[in-house]
Amino acid sequence: MITKTQLWIGTGCDPQENLAVEQALLEATDAGCCTLYLWQNQNTVVIGKNQNAWKECRTALLEQEGGKLARRLSGGGAVYHDLGNLNFTFLLPTEDFDLSRQFSVLQRALLRLGIPAELSGRNDLTADGQKFSGNAFYHHAGRSYHHGTLLVSADLDRMSRYLRPSAAKLKAKGVDSVRSRVTNLCALRETLTVAKLQTALIDAFTEVYGSVPTFAAPDPEAVARLTARNRSWEWNYGAQLPFDFSCGDRFPWGEVQIELKVDGGTVTRAKVYTDAMDWTLAPALEAALIGSRFSAAALCERIAACGMEQTDDLCGLIRRQDV
Amino acid sequence: MNIPAELKYTKSHEWVRMEDGVAVIGITDYAQDALGDVVFVNLPQQGDDAAAGEAFGDVESVKAVSDLVSPVSGTVCAVNEELVDAPELLNSDPYGAWIIKVENVADTEELLDAEAYAAHCEAE
Repeated sequence: MITKTQLWIGTGCDPQENLAVEQALLEATDAGCCTLYLWQNQNTVVIGKNQNAWKECRTALLEQEGGKLARRLSGGGAVYHDLGNLNFTFLLPTEDFDLSRQFSVLQRALLRLGIPAELSGRNDLTADGQKFSGNAFYHHAGRSYHHGTLLVSADLDRMSRYLRPSAAKLKAKGVDSVRSRVTNLCALRETLTVAKLQTALIDAFTEVYGSVPTFAAPDPEAVARLTARNRSWEWNYGAQLPFDFSCGDRFPWGEVQIELKVDGGTVTRAKVYTDAMDWTLAPALEAALIGSRFSAAALCERIAACGMEQTDDLCGLIRRQDV
Repeated sequence: MNIPAELKYTKSHEWVRMEDGVAVIGITDYAQDALGDVVFVNLPQQGDDAAAGEAFGDVESVKAVSDLVSPVSGTVCAVNEELVDAPELLNSDPYGAWIIKVENVADTEELLDAEAYAAHCEAE
């Protein structure tokens, strides 16, 4: 039974650090205690635990525009965050995990702001039939969290730009995102701001759990350790099941088709098919690509190092794939 | 609720069948029903150590990621790779879709027989 509550409000807007704080708070969750953590990320795509980053997000475009990619522990699909979005996390012992109680905090806060919200399925909150909040859950070693997004005034153009499936042909195992139409809450209540929503959530949390929260400072050592992991290429890209990637195009010198097998984020097999007159092209390209890290920059560097006359065309082809 | 009499169970809803000293491990009908549609299974690798009462992998169902807890300590000697392509087998055939096999079984969590496990599910 929950007898004690805690509150922590994120101090930065870096997704990898914020997700580290979330996990540190989970690791420190005590019996009988429920913590509410409120946080925001700037220009970020967060993918689910078992998703392929390249498949769900236009990673190259995101990076080019100064955005960040992060992976969370919970399941589900890719979401876009910016400062027009407020994230919440309820952290508590698994035996006290109660979806309807947690959702009631959100619904109570929203109702106070003049927005009647409905639960749609087990993961979404909607108002006037439109989704503004996606939720996901994680259970580990007797502790659980329920977290989600609340779109107040997020940049929906950027959202659809980054989450749009990339042009790349990618055959991967893992969890696919489910696309849904979303809305900002400020479209329903013009005067709503993230700050107002935050205050309403804290009030509703206090009322639903019948306890005034104390502050829950996350352990800085745990945060540092988890932030380092969250920032690593291995965590975001490397630790994925093997997948197949292919791309191709027709050039004045001939047609080319490149097929790669990627394991742990590294190219383990490369097959190049071409009708180019230059018979050395295919074997040279295959040898160059094997062992490369799977990113447009790394692949192009390998291709350029071969010094072939088709370099510009081939690098252009790779760069058009959004990887 | 299907609870085969010949299996042993954990309170965290895994089942175990001993076959010539090798522990075959899966999740129960109750577990798959509580999880909902399973969309992904993270499996350990052959040769990994499994520790009684600790996670050896996790399953992702309709948005919740949950631990798979090993009922025994030992060495993972086989992994059901079929689940990578067809995680839904955990829903459709929970007692046929084993997840891992563990050999050199050293230590065992408290295991329940079918009757005690049924009572445990009842109480949840």
